[in-house]
Amino acid sequence: MIITRPKTIEEILTMLEKFAPSPICVVGCGICARKIQTGGETQVTSLVDELRSHGLDVLDGKMVKHACSATSWDELSEEVPALAQASALLVLSCGAGVSLLGRISGKPVLPGLDTTSIGGALGDDISEGLCSMCGECDVAIYAGLCPKSGCPKSQVNGPCGGSSDGDCEVGGRKCIWARIFETLDSRGLLALLDDTRPPVCHDRRL
Amino acid sequence: MGFADVLDSGKFIITAEVSPPRGTDLSGVLAESHQLQGLVDAVNVTDNQRAMMRMSPMVLCHRLEEAGFTTIMHITCRDRNRLALQSDLLAAHALGIRNVLAMSGDYPTMGDQPSAKPVFDLDSVQLLQMIEKMNNGLDFQDEPIDGPTSLCAGAVANPGARPLALQLLKLNKKVSAKARFIQTQAVFDAEVFHEFADVMKSTGIPLIAGIIPLKSARSARFMNEKIPGVTIPEDDMRRMEAASDPVSEGLEIAAETIARIRQHCRGIHIMPVGGQGNTRRLLEMCGLD
Ligand code: SF4
Ligand code: SF4
Repeated sequence: MIITRPKTIEEILTMLEKFAPSPICVVGCGICARKIQTGGETQVTSLVDELRSHGLDVLDGKMVKHACSATSWDELSEEVPALAQASALLVLSCGAGVSLLGRISGKPVLPGLDTTSIGGALGDDISEGLCSMCGECDVAIYAGLCPKSGCPKSQVNGPCGGSSDGDCEVGGRKCIWARIFETLDSRGLLALLDDTRPPVCHDRRL
Repeated sequence: MGFADVLDSGKFIITAEVSPPRGTDLSGVLAESHQLQGLVDAVNVTDNQRAMMRMSPMVLCHRLEEAGFTTIMHITCRDRNRLALQSDLLAAHALGIRNVLAMSGDYPTMGDQPSAKPVFDLDSVQLLQMIEKMNNGLDFQDEPIDGPTSLCAGAVANPGARPLALQLLKLNKKVSAKARFIQTQAVFDAEVFHEFADVMKSTGIPLIAGIIPLKSARSARFMNEKIPGVTIPEDDMRRMEAASDPVSEGLEIAAETIARIRQHCRGIHIMPVGGQGNTRRLLEMCGLD
């Protein structure tokens, strides 16, 4: 799941003024953004209302099944008759959805959300930053708890000096290394951490 | 005598810390450092300490070396990828700097440029491995460089970090990566340090204990709350609160700590809060001048 957070209405209004001729359509995404309530039906409808209350010409708003897929465009074309008149799309999805809709539609697209990380949801409990897409997944060593993404300093050989009583030096979070250590310890698998790990090969992501 | 020789000599080691200026003028810090002349085995120069922007430590190390000091250049992984780390190590070596202290570095949000990109391409263990390779005439990709470096690299540890076993996980890797010495976070609780020194004894690695003389009750409270792994004992807090001359009381507390841990470490590293005149005073109080 891609984690997104809403831009403020002020940011959206400034962006619309700068980059988008009206009229516009608002598009939401039925997968991640709906699940974490940043781009589901409710958010699309309320943003359409809010933009109209600011005097903007909004033709329609629609949540597609998944913004990051070509089928989203077919769905929009079929179900939003006004789409052809739209001069731009304001998209409530992750950056991938925005980018993809921009490519297929040939129209200017504007992001209504900020994309922050890959995470997951356990019911209402949203976990952020579970993977940073390093291109060489070795999370088996770390009891499935990825330090490249879960640690702000991406420490792969143990905690930094700021780890204290299970807390991270970077405000308000737990040190992922404390969790890795506890989990492996409880499984009798601490020896997995004995070897010094090499740094990430960043060229593997190219 | 180079710092590597001091480490080998068995002498009680004394180092002190200075920070580069937050501007272009080195005259103040050079004059201040002058007070350390003949008093310390080496001067540590910090690298954007606590993620606060300052001049590169390489320049200050160079000027201090010219003035006759042995320096230990701090080098963090926060601001440089592996290209820049190697490049800076070669440059430091070319300038006559022979000692470095490898560390991850505080996170940018702790400092005055909170939006900076946190690099952390390597961690401190991998940085030590990089230095070892360069000392063997190889770059990080194992390709030959024109002449090996001869850098004596130390690492840092925090005796107060809990759980200790978690801290040791990485510390043991630093030892395996050929760290020549371990410099610790500020020690206030001698018992905590003794426990740490006991655990590290089998590695044989020299421990240099960090010492920060407290300056005021307020700064002591700040350190207690804001510096991970630093716990100032209640008793010391009370003494600082009651003191009519807090600076002297802080030096007194530091001198007592040094006396208690002296037999358990190879040396001390003084991080003065305020002028280097206090470093001199403290060493005099300990009979180490
Ligand atoms: S190691 Fe971590 S960052 Fe890399 S792919 Fe696996 S989970 Fe993602
Ligand atoms: S405290 Fe732990 S999670 Fe936080 S930066 Fe350090 S190692 Fe990473």
